Amino acid sequence: MERYDIGIIGTGPAGLSAALTAKIRNKNILLLGRKNLSEKVEKAHTVQNYLGLPNYSGAEMVKVFQQQLNIMNIVITEDKATAIYNMGDYFEIQTAANAMYETTSIILAAGMTVTHFFAGEKQFLGRGVSYCATCDAPLYKGKVVAIIADNAAEESEVDFMAEIAAKVYYFPLYQGNIHVSSSVIVVHEKPVGIIGTPKVSQLQTENTTYDVDGIFILRESVAPDQLVPGLTTEGGYVAVNRQMETVMKGCFACGDITGRPYQYSKAAGEGNVAALSAVSYLDRNRHK
Amino acid sequence: MMIKKISQNEFNEVLNSKAAVVDFSATWCGHCKRLAPVLEEVAEDMKGNVSFFNVDVDEAPALAAQLEIQSVPALFVFKEGKSVGMQVGFAPKEQLIQFIKEKLD
Repeated sequence: MERYDIGIIGTGPAGLSAALTAKIRNKNILLLGRKNLSEKVEKAHTVQNYLGLPNYSGAEMVKVFQQQLNIMNIVITEDKATAIYNMGDYFEIQTAANAMYETTSIILAAGMTVTHFFAGEKQFLGRGVSYCATCDAPLYKGKVVAIIADNAAEESEVDFMAEIAAKVYYFPLYQGNIHVSSSVIVVHEKPVGIIGTPKVSQLQTENTTYDVDGIFILRESVAPDQLVPGLTTEGGYVAVNRQMETVMKGCFACGDITGRPYQYSKAAGEGNVAALSAVSYLDRNRHK
Repeated sequence: MMIKKISQNEFNEVLNSKAAVVDFSATWCGHCKRLAPVLEEVAEDMKGNVSFFNVDVDEAPALAAQLEIQSVPALFVFKEGKSVGMQVGFAPKEQLIQFIKEKLD
């Protein structure tokens, strides 16, 4: 398998800035994210404090960012990292499209979505709470399962689970029509907490409780320490130093994922530093 | 190979070890596949002190039920036949070593 020098996760200002610097330093990069760049930037009205682009709208910024990528021959791989494994001297990136990539270093620039955790969620992780239906579904053969999802893309996971479990309750947290197999019981109630000793036995909603053996929580954006097992977070953000180094050797982070302020200039600046740090990490490794 | 694959019936080997780590995994689990080579390195580093085993949960349903395994990979640490710690999911090498040492302390 081809091993990239740097895997950059995210195509907002932080990720793109990191990609430019890494490319200038002649590194072989994998840039993973949305082809139309950051959704957040795209929707921004006008940005008045980004140097060199006076009063550009978010959409105009995206356009000039793309031009710069074209000039530098930087290509975006349109996919989403679902898990990043630290394998020792390299990383493996698993994606939503079920591709697997190997990289020597990682730059996390995936932005930040504040995750609201359910009461008991962290406590019961691995004891009846799971974040991966395809991973743990076979363990729930003939059992009762609740699935909570914040986006419609998870409906295929729900159908997959319905084929294995005896009974599936589905709690969609999003608007719109729900398209799941007819054997699934769709519940429009807000889940509030998870109960059990020592493992999950009930899901509590604002109205009532449901007896279940397992609860799958499927979110569009995964928390950084869930995306990269072993990473340290502080208040939900990836902990970094001034060199944008995380606690994990070879793994760097930049942009909103490292914390406030959520500013494009700050993100781009951090992306630049993260790339330079990754480059010196690669150089050090080569001379070892 | 430092990690010994055992069946349900051979679990006494774990219980009779002074210190043992058992990786409960499944063939269909991606996290398990990533964990295996990392754990192999950990086993190499800790050889002589800790015995490492692997159990396929699909081949050991009674044992998996008894230990209430609900997610894989599930890593159990046994000290003189008693379960002293469990963690679920992938973790990098340094963290695994730290976890195992902490539980055996």
